[in-house]
Amino acid sequence: MATLPASVPVRRRRSAARWFADTGWRHLVGIAVVIFATFPLLYVLSASLNPTGTLVGSNVLFRSLDISNYIELFNRPQQPYAAWFANTLVIGLIAAAGTVFLGALAAYAFSRMRFTGRRVGLLSLLLVQMFPQLLGVVAIFLLLSGIGDIFPALGLGSQLGLIMVYLGGALGVNTYLMYGFFNTVPASIDEAAKLDGASHAQIFFGIILRLVAPILAVVGLLSFVGTTNEFVIASIVLSDPQTQTLAVGLYQFVSQETSKNWTLFSAGAVLAAIPVMALFLFLQRYIVSGLTAGSVK
Amino acid sequence: MTTSTPGTTPPLAPRPAATAKPRGVHHPGTPSVRSMLIKISLLAIVDSLAVFALFTLLLKESWVVFGIALAVTLAINYIYLKPGLLPAKYLAPGIFFLAIFQIFVVVYSGYIAFTNYGDGHNGSKEDAIESIIANARTRVPDSPTYRLTVLEQFGTFSFLVTTPEGEVFVGGEDRPLDEAPSARLDSTGKAIELDGYTTLDFGSLIQNQSVIADLSVPLTDDPNDGALRTPDGSSAYLYTSALEYDAEADAIVDTATGERFLDRGDGAFANEAGRELSPGWKIDVGFDNFARAFTEESIRGPLLGVIAWTFAFALLSVGMTFALGLFLAIVFNEARMRGRKFYRIVLILPYAFPSFLSGLVWLGLLNQDFGFVNQVVFGGAAIPWLTDPWLAKASVLIVNLWLGFPYMFLICTGALQSIPDELTEAARVDGARPWAIFRLIKFPLLLVSVAPLLISSFAFNFNNFNVIYMLTGGGPRNVSAGVDAGATDLLITLVYKVAFGSGTGRDYGLASAFAILIFIIVAVVSIIGFRRTRALEDLN
Amino acid sequence: MRVQSTPRALLSSVAVAAVGALALAGCSTGPETPQYSGTLTVWVDADRAAVLEDVAAQFQEERGVEVTLVQKDFGDIRDDFTTQVPTGEGPDIIVGAHDWLGKLVQNGVVAPLELGDKASEFQQVAINAMSYEGQNYGLPYSVENIALLRNTDLAPTAPTTFDELIAMGQASVDAGDSEYPFLVGLDPNAADPYHLYPLQASFGATVFEITPDGTYDPTKLALGVAGGEAFAQKLAEWGAMGVLNTNISGDIAKEEFNAGKSPFYLTGPWNVPAAAEAGINYSIDAIPSAGGETATPFVGVQGFYISSKSENALAANEFLVNYVGTEAVQTALYEVGGRAPALISAFEAAQGDADVAAFGAVGANGVPMPNVPAMDSVWADWGATEVAIINGQGDPVELWQAMVASIQSKIEG
Repeated sequence: MATLPASVPVRRRRSAARWFADTGWRHLVGIAVVIFATFPLLYVLSASLNPTGTLVGSNVLFRSLDISNYIELFNRPQQPYAAWFANTLVIGLIAAAGTVFLGALAAYAFSRMRFTGRRVGLLSLLLVQMFPQLLGVVAIFLLLSGIGDIFPALGLGSQLGLIMVYLGGALGVNTYLMYGFFNTVPASIDEAAKLDGASHAQIFFGIILRLVAPILAVVGLLSFVGTTNEFVIASIVLSDPQTQTLAVGLYQFVSQETSKNWTLFSAGAVLAAIPVMALFLFLQRYIVSGLTAGSVK
Repeated sequence: MTTSTPGTTPPLAPRPAATAKPRGVHHPGTPSVRSMLIKISLLAIVDSLAVFALFTLLLKESWVVFGIALAVTLAINYIYLKPGLLPAKYLAPGIFFLAIFQIFVVVYSGYIAFTNYGDGHNGSKEDAIESIIANARTRVPDSPTYRLTVLEQFGTFSFLVTTPEGEVFVGGEDRPLDEAPSARLDSTGKAIELDGYTTLDFGSLIQNQSVIADLSVPLTDDPNDGALRTPDGSSAYLYTSALEYDAEADAIVDTATGERFLDRGDGAFANEAGRELSPGWKIDVGFDNFARAFTEESIRGPLLGVIAWTFAFALLSVGMTFALGLFLAIVFNEARMRGRKFYRIVLILPYAFPSFLSGLVWLGLLNQDFGFVNQVVFGGAAIPWLTDPWLAKASVLIVNLWLGFPYMFLICTGALQSIPDELTEAARVDGARPWAIFRLIKFPLLLVSVAPLLISSFAFNFNNFNVIYMLTGGGPRNVSAGVDAGATDLLITLVYKVAFGSGTGRDYGLASAFAILIFIIVAVVSIIGFRRTRALEDLN
Repeated sequence: MRVQSTPRALLSSVAVAAVGALALAGCSTGPETPQYSGTLTVWVDADRAAVLEDVAAQFQEERGVEVTLVQKDFGDIRDDFTTQVPTGEGPDIIVGAHDWLGKLVQNGVVAPLELGDKASEFQQVAINAMSYEGQNYGLPYSVENIALLRNTDLAPTAPTTFDELIAMGQASVDAGDSEYPFLVGLDPNAADPYHLYPLQASFGATVFEITPDGTYDPTKLALGVAGGEAFAQKLAEWGAMGVLNTNISGDIAKEEFNAGKSPFYLTGPWNVPAAAEAGINYSIDAIPSAGGETATPFVGVQGFYISSKSENALAANEFLVNYVGTEAVQTALYEVGGRAPALISAFEAAQGDADVAAFGAVGANGVPMPNVPAMDSVWADWGATEVAIINGQGDPVELWQAMVASIQSKIEG
């Protein structure tokens, strides 16, 4: 970013070697890693365009280009793909927003305030999520059925209940990520604002959150991806097909040993990846916008 | 491509902090009435919900939950009404959800470790007794189907039955069948009404079905002749019971042999010889599961090798995904590079697909005879990617790298933004080489914010059940060695096999005890790692 | 840095708002199904839900009892049912496979089901499969088994022995007509004891000893008989010859057979429609014997179970026996899933479909897959050992004996 406008004419004449040293090699790396990242997924795409039902039966990719799987996805009354898609978006976005919000609050407290138990608290957040959750499903089931006895709308079968479960994981790794980022925002900014008479809430919402936008976007995206791919808890909580998420619904296509429909599943997974990409595209400008001058500690 | 032009300030970048004006500063220095009102009304909503919940709990007489809910409600009010307590104001919402949905799960798992919960010990003792008795009740061979009408009189139910021969009897619980010649018959000869009784229609039958399904009408005065019961309310069958429950002695008695099965404290009824009736029930067993975890022969043999591989897998996974993710983040962090958006989008693709789908694709790609990797990349070689012990280890690491690098890439991309350009610029002006700038300035700063994530990623991979399960199931296994552990088995997958795969089946109690032990290992390693990052950290 | 505390915390109010709004929003929507007496909750997978919807509506109309169909993933039903029944939250009825039964009984979550005189209207093998320790627990609805799928263009006649099959297959490969003498889907780490079982059974080696009443005695492992060792030796031989290849997964086997690359394919009815669609001229044959005795496949039965804690026992029983157990519903279930009906009248009506009839003929002398709880510990060792034997990783007889010893010790706990 340091290139001065004056250097532009020079740049035009620069040699291919210079170009390669600057950005050309980056494209080589980019191409290599694009191949690594996508070639397994080409199988998924290829399977989704093939009506025969197998996933990796053959090495011949794109033998048939048939969109009947995509059409069928939306024509199954028992498996309402469109509803799953909408549910996933709603649940994922609300859970992501909640996660960012709760996590940012906590990260702000850990970063800007000094209180007893701060270190231990930070460490505990990390440790709690390391516990092997092998009985998580049973515990969540009992919990939600208990909550449902008091607030039926938050119990089993409720999307709101599921979102709350996801919010339980809002603190933890995400808090850490934001905490580290908050620490890089100099305290002098807070002090200056305080001298102007701003309250702590005004400082937090008005200044800090905007300065840490990149990490909020990253956490939001991570949380969205995590939620959309989460299958185990969602399948326990949501039983009505109309309320289910993509992860739960799609899995039904392949869960039966003798009637796996991989091609339909693949088509569903391909479409399901679109929201994640769209969200990333939308958030990318926040993620890479960067902090500018002045935010040095 | 808003950021591709050199020297342009990205339009959406936050303004330099010196000029940033906090939004929403209405009257500097004075309390905002509006925010006060918002706060009070929100607190009122929360409190009204809490009062509703408390009231419900009161009616249900769940005192423990009531006490906890009351304490939480009071604490929330205290935190938000009392001036000060700022950290608590910021932390409370997150901790509220954390406590309910995460800590509870941990506490519950911890509790299960002290029980025998698992296959065969799945419910309460009452349920177990009911199941044992019901399962032992068999229809008397070659006994007829009685056509049935259920009658009601003064709140008790009776059976009005018609035998295939057309004889009609009436009886009830503890009232053996008695002839009822006065009953009215329908056109098929089935008795449907009896004076003094009300005949139940299907609706009333359904309303009272739990009572009627439990009704047992003795055939004669002799209990050994069996009793009539109805499965559907319209027909009755004659059953005898091979087992009976003696409530006084708390024993199950075999009606044929008189053998007694007693509750011997193991969560099941067992006879003298130790034969247990199924199902048993859930009981607390103290530290038994932990004792078993330490003495379990099938896990002690391969333990050292498995622990070494688990550590290697976790460390290598973190190291490789972080190295690749960071490298790519740096490569694509160059503002002059064109097409960065495209590359970044494609890089997160592995993260956007369900991981078990990707796992299955990799399974196919790595197939020894038919997989793309051998057939196309290695020109038809027969490399046993998943069936050779060392190659299988390498394969799971590569697949895990594929699954994990987008996460690290995203985090590093975000974290790199927190490193001010001034620092690197200054160094460049001083003549530092790019590698030195990275190693001495960028990397240490980056590590400050991502080190805890690396620790957490280590913990995740330490227990990364899914990737192993999808690809190799822990194998390849050396079956002739007589151990269940395969070459790629992690501690967690081995524990699953031991706790879920032998004896009576799934043993959640033992699995939880193992989970706690694994947690202790991971936690200790993490705390050590955490202490080391503390040295890195600049606490502002 | 010290933060001056102020009571007017806009922030805190927003935080509370988050909680409040969630809870509030929760109150305004109420999708919960009321659990009043007389509502039957049935867990089914998506395919079967469509069929049951009609009979559920009919039941409600005729009997006034509402039937709520909850769509569950088939693979999740057993575990979720086991976990949820003791809490009193579980469903009244589930659809399930017969080999779950041992576990369900062991956990006390399934209630005996009295079929009454209706029992004789079902195929005997289906009734046997739904029984455990002499008690019937389920209403069967489908019966399925594997058979030999033969590409009639590549192999005009059916082989009578497995050796003949290999010879015919090999001849077809040598003639350049095929690539594989024989196909069966295996797993590189777990082989497939289910698909290989008919060959094993033809050597006289069952899993457990079979008692005179046609059920298994889970305490008496029968894998270790001499026939088992003979089968192990044959496995090694077939592995060396390339007749069996653990790298040929189910997906690959299906693709290759449908591409006309093998005359023989050991599979179930679920893969037949794809073969027909691919234009393969096929015939469904009995599985040729490898060891002299009949190569009987395992029979898999699916059906419906009632929860031991159902408060709607009478309604559930009525619904299953007199509604789901009718020819119309059994036929409808067959039509959607392609699994042969368990009800004899529906099964006979389905004989019009030559494929169903052919598979039925092969399964006629089949035995149900064991439904005892001990099977969980059997499958893992069984499969891993078959992999080792097929790939020549040791002496087949020794590997087989080691497997028998290992399974024996696990069953004994």
